[in-house]
Amino acid sequence: MERRAHSSVLVREIKRHRSVYLLLIIPLTYYIIFKYVPIFNGQIAFKEYMALDGVLGSKWIGLEHFRTFIHSYYFTELLRNTLMYSFGKLIFSLPIAILLAIAIYESNRAALRKVVQTLAYLPHFLSWVIMYGILLALLAPGDGIVNDMIKGLGGKGIDFLTNTRAFPWIVIFSDAWKEMGWSAIIFIAALMGIDPSLFEAALVEGANSWQRVRYITLPSIRPVIIIVVLLRLGTILDAGFNQIFMLYSTPVLSVGDIIDTWVYRQGLLEFQFGLATAVGLFKGVIGMALILTSNRLVKRFGGAVLF
Amino acid sequence: MKKQHVLCIALVALLTLVSLPVFSQGVKEPAAAGPVTIELWYGAAITEAGPPPSDWVGFKIIKEKLNIDLKLTALPSSENDQDVKVQAAAAANNLPDLFMVRRDVLGRLVGQGLVATVDDLYAKMPIRTATHYDSVSRGHARFNGKTYGLADPGSINKNEGLLIRKDWLDNLGLAVPKTTEDLMKVMRAFTFNDPDRNGKHDTYGYGAFQEINNYEAWPGRRLEPIFGAFGVDGTWSLSAADPGLMVLKPAFYDAMTYLKRMVDEGVMDPNWLAYKKDDFRAAWKQGRFGVMREQNAAYAAESNYAPFDKNFPDGEWIIVDAPVGPQGLASIGPYTASFRIYAISAKAEQAGKKDKIAELLEWMASDEGYYLLGWGVEGVNYTLDKDGIPVADGIANRDMAFTGSVGQTVTQLRNMVFYNGDIELYARYPKYITATSRKEMSALDVLREMQTKEWTAAIGSDTLPIPNADLKRFYEQGLSEFITGKRVLNKANWEKWLDEFKKLGGQSWNDSGIAFAKENNLLI
Repeated sequence: MERRAHSSVLVREIKRHRSVYLLLIIPLTYYIIFKYVPIFNGQIAFKEYMALDGVLGSKWIGLEHFRTFIHSYYFTELLRNTLMYSFGKLIFSLPIAILLAIAIYESNRAALRKVVQTLAYLPHFLSWVIMYGILLALLAPGDGIVNDMIKGLGGKGIDFLTNTRAFPWIVIFSDAWKEMGWSAIIFIAALMGIDPSLFEAALVEGANSWQRVRYITLPSIRPVIIIVVLLRLGTILDAGFNQIFMLYSTPVLSVGDIIDTWVYRQGLLEFQFGLATAVGLFKGVIGMALILTSNRLVKRFGGAVLF
Repeated sequence: MKKQHVLCIALVALLTLVSLPVFSQGVKEPAAAGPVTIELWYGAAITEAGPPPSDWVGFKIIKEKLNIDLKLTALPSSENDQDVKVQAAAAANNLPDLFMVRRDVLGRLVGQGLVATVDDLYAKMPIRTATHYDSVSRGHARFNGKTYGLADPGSINKNEGLLIRKDWLDNLGLAVPKTTEDLMKVMRAFTFNDPDRNGKHDTYGYGAFQEINNYEAWPGRRLEPIFGAFGVDGTWSLSAADPGLMVLKPAFYDAMTYLKRMVDEGVMDPNWLAYKKDDFRAAWKQGRFGVMREQNAAYAAESNYAPFDKNFPDGEWIIVDAPVGPQGLASIGPYTASFRIYAISAKAEQAGKKDKIAELLEWMASDEGYYLLGWGVEGVNYTLDKDGIPVADGIANRDMAFTGSVGQTVTQLRNMVFYNGDIELYARYPKYITATSRKEMSALDVLREMQTKEWTAAIGSDTLPIPNADLKRFYEQGLSEFITGKRVLNKANWEKWLDEFKKLGGQSWNDSGIAFAKENNLLI
């Protein structure tokens, strides 16, 4: 009886907000087709996949693909590089995006704000192929603009793109440059939601700009920062395939090869789809464990959480 | 309650509807009476031009004469992207009826049982077989005694050469280098003695980029003339006296030492490790270096030479002999028979389309198909000169000519009919006068000259076993680290690295390669 009443309430709610539920159909369909249906095919991670036998008919081999991946010659290096880029991007890109958002929000000059915002968003819309061309023009050891400046100042040219010491920094900084504008959007939205009376009160109390940022702005957007960090942790083993694939070359493989580039070579180019799926599953499980753990930790300390 | 049921049913219906395409990958049977649909994934002849338009006359002729409804899809231009597309379709058992595929990938598809044998088709295509498929071609796509792909002639053999800036040599009063030591002196002069007389230190001796394939391993094709001077060009030695991986030969260390000297002395364009193919080509056209290995058309075809001609009207490249190394050896690099393989999916065979595909390919090799796919329609896309060679002269609308932007789209399938015959070569590489310097150029003359140089015969070396991805990485990374200085290049380190390489699978790769070469009579 109680269940029936609950159901009719649900139906009534759906009817009342039917336009919202209608809107939900498109993303729901997307998630069903591209996220849930493939879960069924995820079983090939445990099978010796033969296209003719199909997903169900292929031979079950248990954890063999996982063992292959974990015992592969470069496993430790792949994991190290992947984590290095993921955490590097998190540590560098996130604060830059927050700083940019605050700077844009605090600026009193509307025209300047718009110009900066547009210029900061622009690189997000460029593909990594184009970005590589720009980076080559800037950083090429022979005639890159940066190296010309270094040489002009009496220094020696640096092979930024093929030097194992410089390459990780190029990856992290070029990502920060490309994505800071786009990443700042969510923080700008959060800043817009801060009650203006807080700033007015702070002004009356004589707070300077830095104090306003420190005691009002940052605490107010802290929940959003936590949510963003939590979401990033879920994809911590995605270090940015497109970027690395475009930028890396043979001399920097030791610091450039990540799990996804390995999967591309070993899984997709070598027709080992079971292995590629197993690595995908491995990444997903690690990501989920990280989200659950960190969500729980944040909850324990009373912060904003995902669920 | 009824409303809830309706809602549930609607939701289930929606889910079923959206899921249907995911599960529906069955074999499409041709309609009994209508034309047979043949889906073809082709390698575009001109990657920057679009596909044949939907109203292309070829579709109509093929439907009317052969009762075939031809559906075309262009494969990506990058080989890796092609492999991914083909293998992704294969993984879903959704390969097209006929498709171009690289040999390595074909081998994997054979292992999966996804491609049909083609041994029975040669007899059904007498015209095509006579011009396209000799015994080398048939062997190229053979696995376990059966042929699984139609290997059509690919690019022409020995179509690259070692080129040097003659105007720079003249400016500096230098002779064409004959030996590796001469070459080093010339490269130094090109780097440090301002060969272009512009008062800037902006030139280098040698230009290259990493262009690697399974028979030209790292550092790849562009540096083969250097490794050829030490007798270790190419991935494999197919010499019956000393077969095996070149990297295991003692002379490979000497070649590495020479390359390291080039890098350390600064005579190598320092961008070479960062260049992609287009960057490299833009660089020589901008006058950055004075020695390179380049392909005949990439160097001398009208549109490719034009930027260099404009930038340097007095500039001149000449084709030179490969430099002779300390043991008297020289080679531009290894050459093998090059093919474009077209395979038929097992699914198409099951649907009874194999004979129809043979009919289509045979028609393509007929005079009608050859000219239509090669150059378009006479009078619309080409005319014939007095020697019967298709030319773009006399076409009122230049865009419609087979060399024009629109005309190029109707010749996208020409690689399926061309077999490097004389007509093709004359038509493809016509003589022309350069726009700025008014020189007479011909990519065909360049080709002929390149073919006269010293090359290493390595027929079949592109069919030898390939290493797994980890071993390949170890190989390429290790060699590049010796050159960039991350590893110190000395005998002790080299031997240590070779030991590790062998342990990781290099020895077994070497042994399996030798065994394969012996089994298939590739040793010379």
